[in-house]
Amino acid sequence: MASIELDRVSKLYANGAYGVRDVNLQIEDGEFVIFLGPSGCGKSTTLRMIAGLESISSGDLRIGGRSVNGVAPRDRNVAVVFQSYALYPHMSVWHNMAFGLKMRGVPLAEIDTKVAKAADMLGLNHLLQRKPGALSGGQRQRVALGRAIVREPEAFLLDEPLSNLDAQLRAEMRLELVKLHRRLGRTIVHVTHDQVEAMTMGDRICIMKDGRMIQSGRPLDVYANPADTFVARFLATPPMNLVPAHLEHEGEALVVSIDAATRITVPRQHYLPYVHKAGGPITVGIRAEDIYETQQRPEWQKITVKVVAIEALGAENVLIGLLGRDKPIEIQARLGRHFFAPVDSMVDLYVDVEPMHLFDAETGKAVARPPLPVGR
Amino acid sequence: MRKFGLHFGLILACVVVLLPPLWALRTSFVPESMSYSTEILPAFTLDNYTGLFEKNRFGTFYVNSLIVALGSVILALPFAACTGYAFARFRTGGRFARFAVLATQMLPPVALVLPAFAILRGAGLTNSLPGLILVYSALNLPFLTWILMGFFEGVPADMEGAAMTDGATAWGAFWRIVIPVSLPGLAAAGVLGFILSWNEFLFALVLSGPQTATIPVSLAALQTSNGVQIAKVSAGVVLAILPLVIASRFIQRFIIQGLTFGGVK
Repeated sequence: MASIELDRVSKLYANGAYGVRDVNLQIEDGEFVIFLGPSGCGKSTTLRMIAGLESISSGDLRIGGRSVNGVAPRDRNVAVVFQSYALYPHMSVWHNMAFGLKMRGVPLAEIDTKVAKAADMLGLNHLLQRKPGALSGGQRQRVALGRAIVREPEAFLLDEPLSNLDAQLRAEMRLELVKLHRRLGRTIVHVTHDQVEAMTMGDRICIMKDGRMIQSGRPLDVYANPADTFVARFLATPPMNLVPAHLEHEGEALVVSIDAATRITVPRQHYLPYVHKAGGPITVGIRAEDIYETQQRPEWQKITVKVVAIEALGAENVLIGLLGRDKPIEIQARLGRHFFAPVDSMVDLYVDVEPMHLFDAETGKAVARPPLPVGR
Repeated sequence: MRKFGLHFGLILACVVVLLPPLWALRTSFVPESMSYSTEILPAFTLDNYTGLFEKNRFGTFYVNSLIVALGSVILALPFAACTGYAFARFRTGGRFARFAVLATQMLPPVALVLPAFAILRGAGLTNSLPGLILVYSALNLPFLTWILMGFFEGVPADMEGAAMTDGATAWGAFWRIVIPVSLPGLAAAGVLGFILSWNEFLFALVLSGPQTATIPVSLAALQTSNGVQIAKVSAGVVLAILPLVIASRFIQRFIIQGLTFGGVK
């Protein structure tokens, strides 16, 4: 059993600053969990605390139900794959992979078998005698993984292992890691700042900011129901459009008023959860993919945008435009690859309002409403 | 034209730097009576070298120098490695401790020589090679610590993290990973420490005796009441320089290796 539990775990530095603050998390045995957040949010520190490479200032950390706060890294039976790979440059690939087993006094014949098996799994057989300096980035990454696999640890802790690879190799390794997780069935904690990795690899993502865990859940659930404006923007490319507005009554409906000419009616089913915010400022969140160039459903609502630029990405065109007349706000929309409009022209676009979010204008927290079903 | 000027300047600088040792080399092969001649090679003899070993016991002093220089490095290096690692990785003592270590190097040697003499006399170690080894180790320690600290700072901490999660203790990670990875740095520090001890004169003059003198002291002794035996001194200088020239070749290689080694990313 390699469940990992963090119970109000904090990291307080000597200068009084918190690296990690009151993190509560229960990672189930065999789960693939992603820690996602910008640089300096405390995700790597949390991982290092789980590994035992960073002391815990307060709170309790349990691996397999056993409190490990004061347990040395070598006695936690976890393996870490570092961003820099941290291969031992003076040892061959074979010795790098065998090091952990040697340290544990495993007989040489058994080491040989295990290293050969792991090397086979990762396609490293022909590289076993090479030193890390003679390997490519992708090969080093595989050796680092092999070094972790060969020990058969209870949990793998991966600290941005893909960030030094080029885009193509990164995509390949993403898939490899997912396959590896399926094959080994071990608990994996993967730290990344890449939202594509977060969305595609894990069973669950935990989003961190300023040392705190803001939200955790299944990737698509978090994507569909962000807890606040930070999550809303961080978990998408282009980020969610956040537009300051006013929530008003209009007859029996609620209307988001961006300015006199730009008014979006809130869907009827969201009336009740949002009505208590009526009459005050609000931040409206619209994802770039919820804006279309044509009206395909009657309930979609029209907005008029001034074109600033169009980024043609091949499969789609991203329109960057200004919404609103009084205080124009820059928004982005993912449109079809055939869409075109001249710069500075005014274009009518259509917003699918059902997935639209409202956030508190001051705190940025999402105004609670029934969660949006995923995969509708 | 600019390139010519640059080369001319560099050649001139080389001549200025190389002329004294080259002239010493020339004088070492010239009979004593002609040693002050301005001719390039008025006559050739090996008498100065043979005389040094036969009449001036240069062999003994040479061995003394080797023992003292090697001994002090072997003694100081493990301490310097541990101290340098503690400074580099654990920030032990903070900035103050780092500066304090460096500050000891700023004291004029003459201020330390009498206390060193008093300590060695108390321990009965004056006029002995172990005494000199101890003193040189102490003198080299801050310098070696400082050099090794720089090397250890270049070793990624993740490497030790990997070793510790792989099953090593903190000491094991240091011994099995950091030390092997830092071998070029240790070699460079060792060679520099050797050179410092090999060339040291003041402490050797005060703390050694007729049996335990080192090369610099023995060469100074050639300055007699009958005048300076400049040809013999030159032969002694050539022999004294020889290990350093060889060591410099090594240190150059190791320092370059040391600088380019760690970058396995």
